[in-house]
Amino acid sequence: MLEIVAETLRATIAVGLILAGILAILIWVKNLTRKLSAMRLFIQIVSVAVIFLGLIIGPFGLDQWAYLGTAPRDIVVGTNILGSPYPDGLTVPTFSCYYASGRTATCVVWQLQSYLFPDYATSNVYLTTGIERLAIATGFLVIFSLIFGRFLCGWICPFGLYMDLLTRLRKALKIKHWTLSERTNEMLKQSRYLIIAAFLILSFILGMNAIAGIELVSESELGRYLEIPFCQVCPAKPLFVLVESGLGYMDIDYALSRTIGDFALTGWYLTSINIVILGIVTVGSFMVRRLWCRICPLGGLIAIFSRFGPFKRLSPIKITKVEEKCTKCGICKRVCPPQVTDVYEEKGGDVTVSDCILCFRCVEMCPYEGCLKVEVAGKPIYKSKNWLNEEE
Amino acid sequence: MASKIEKEPKYIPEMAQSEIDELNKSIKAASIKVIEDNIERMKKTWKNRPKAMEYFDEISNLFGKRAKELEEQKAAGKKIIGYSCIFAPIELILAADAIPVRVGSGWYDTAKLGDRIMPVEICPVIRSTVGAKMVSLSPYLELSDAIVIPLTCDGRTKLSEMLSDFKPIWYMNPPRVKDDTHTLDMWKKEILVIKEKIEKLTGNKITRQKLKEAIEKMQQATKAFRRLQELRKGAPVINGRDAMLVNQTSLWDDIERWTQKVNELCDELEKRVEQKDYSSYPDTPRVMITGTPMIWPDSWKVPNLIEESNPQGVVVVDEQCSSDRILYDPVGVDEWNMSDMLNAISERYIMACTCPCFTSEHGNEDRINWIIDRIKEYKVDGVIYYVVRGCILYAMEYARIKKVLDKMGIPVYYLDTEYTREDVGQMKTRVEAFLEMLEARIDI
Repeated sequence: MLEIVAETLRATIAVGLILAGILAILIWVKNLTRKLSAMRLFIQIVSVAVIFLGLIIGPFGLDQWAYLGTAPRDIVVGTNILGSPYPDGLTVPTFSCYYASGRTATCVVWQLQSYLFPDYATSNVYLTTGIERLAIATGFLVIFSLIFGRFLCGWICPFGLYMDLLTRLRKALKIKHWTLSERTNEMLKQSRYLIIAAFLILSFILGMNAIAGIELVSESELGRYLEIPFCQVCPAKPLFVLVESGLGYMDIDYALSRTIGDFALTGWYLTSINIVILGIVTVGSFMVRRLWCRICPLGGLIAIFSRFGPFKRLSPIKITKVEEKCTKCGICKRVCPPQVTDVYEEKGGDVTVSDCILCFRCVEMCPYEGCLKVEVAGKPIYKSKNWLNEEE
Repeated sequence: MASKIEKEPKYIPEMAQSEIDELNKSIKAASIKVIEDNIERMKKTWKNRPKAMEYFDEISNLFGKRAKELEEQKAAGKKIIGYSCIFAPIELILAADAIPVRVGSGWYDTAKLGDRIMPVEICPVIRSTVGAKMVSLSPYLELSDAIVIPLTCDGRTKLSEMLSDFKPIWYMNPPRVKDDTHTLDMWKKEILVIKEKIEKLTGNKITRQKLKEAIEKMQQATKAFRRLQELRKGAPVINGRDAMLVNQTSLWDDIERWTQKVNELCDELEKRVEQKDYSSYPDTPRVMITGTPMIWPDSWKVPNLIEESNPQGVVVVDEQCSSDRILYDPVGVDEWNMSDMLNAISERYIMACTCPCFTSEHGNEDRINWIIDRIKEYKVDGVIYYVVRGCILYAMEYARIKKVLDKMGIPVYYLDTEYTREDVGQMKTRVEAFLEMLEARIDI
């Protein structure tokens, strides 16, 4: 029974991915220069392929998973940072999940949590201390956030692509989307920081045995999970692991058998909470555009290092608005996937805010020549234009 | 043509049928003469007027080709839905296979008839429209099966009451404050109500596909319209009056045919740009008109004065709901489902609009931004702030606009007038003085 399910899932996902790829290429060939959204979809697909390169190019036929460090199929880059061994690979602030094998880089949230406690310092996998690795991870986080900001969310993040594909499916089915009230949106936005604080503190406390000798959680399977608390609720983890299983690079029976049970009972790859949250986010982001982005702690982390304080001035990618050209028609507000209102409300100048994922949909849809501009380091590279001239 | 009236009209006094017929005949004859005269004057100033303009000259006759077409289409079972103001959602009317047509009137003679029920302080557009109804003058108003009246100003509010004795009136209640989500929600509901009413009258359901087609039709019109406006940015290849006439005919013409004709005109004009075949000298003072709508045919007296005076001026752009604002903003649809299309339509008609009937936290800032942007884009030398007596909202906003323009160093002239031909001589002196001053500034 389980095998039939597994085979069906595998086949469906494989066919779906191939179709999506063909579709994306067709859209791209037709409109690359005209439509920013099509270009974005293309870059998203390429990014996912690069992030999970091992899934595509192999090597196949090996074990999928290793207890620590890199799995045989991982093609991790950046394992040596300035002479310091860094076996989990380049830190990027996107959902390039640690749990799915075949990745080239690693999600910053996993690294922050696992390096916060020096548990692994005792194991022979790491030759550096937790603090050293934490410094490297934070360094990468700051650099990436500063250079790209939440451009990573809109154009690179694999989970963002998943939500965009759901939106495209909904659009194709001509179902209207739900709009969250401004209050709910604001609440979700603020709770990002609570989640960040919560997982950092939790992983610190739960991994305390190595620091203070107090063992809060025994060195059991469950214990290893709780040391990395956020990943056990993250919706991206089950998605990538399931896709990977579906594609046949991992035994899906294993993943399934390990997730059956109570909510509290955890499996090796996935927790039941993971799967439930993925279900909720999937249904939610089918109805609400980019739902997860509004609460995503990863997005919050990027926002902290790109949209606040001195970082705001240094961050090069910006959306700017010319006050006089704006008629306040409200299109930018309506088309924004995470429902950012600031582009509409701000009078002019820099209108980029922490919840903007820099997808530039507003710039693409603004019908007034040169009203909204995308600026990189002060140079405009893309601006709104009279898009009526481009339609058939 | 007269609709059946069973109860006594609430406002309009009883008039003998013979008097109505006589007035109708004489005003109609006078109006046709004014239309012909206006076209003659446009031709005189612009010697080699493009061939494509002939179509617009023809369609500009309010009693001519288009009125006959509407009559035929009405006889064939199509519904005609009139509207008094550009807040009415045209896309919905088109999607239900009905014909939208603007019914506000600009006849000076009928304004005098309106004086019989209203004091002269009232906005002459309203007096003129009611006067036209009294003698059944306007073919569009008479042919309408229903009239959409957005209650933008006080005048229109009572106008809807006066006309309600003759036609089914569909009121639309636009919010006066734009920036709030709840006011927009209210307007969205108004749009839904109008949609239902249109569906009920025409018997056609507005489906997703039809609405999409209607939106695309209007987008094409906007595209052509913007193309024409773009041509006015450089040295004048089209006189302001002609462009204003083209813009205004879109209010009663078949929109697809109009789009096609405008594109033909633009093709011709684009060739002229290459040949440097200008309609006026390139150093003619460039004037912008803002304020009360100028309604064809009688209100053409002001642009006529500007473009015929000595020194001559050319109207390169305006900020009026009778011309540049009609089609400038497109309906921007994100997702082609019913809900988003309706949202896009409701936002386009209210959020992008710069009518002075709005206010917000920062005042009607959109209008000021629009004017500043136009001045820069079209290299405007001076602004004529046109107000007909009784148009309170435009008159009140003058002080603020003047402050902004003074800061920019752009001269602005407050030109107040009435629906009368008697002040032409006196206005000529005022306009000429203003243009002379502009020319002096250019020479420096």
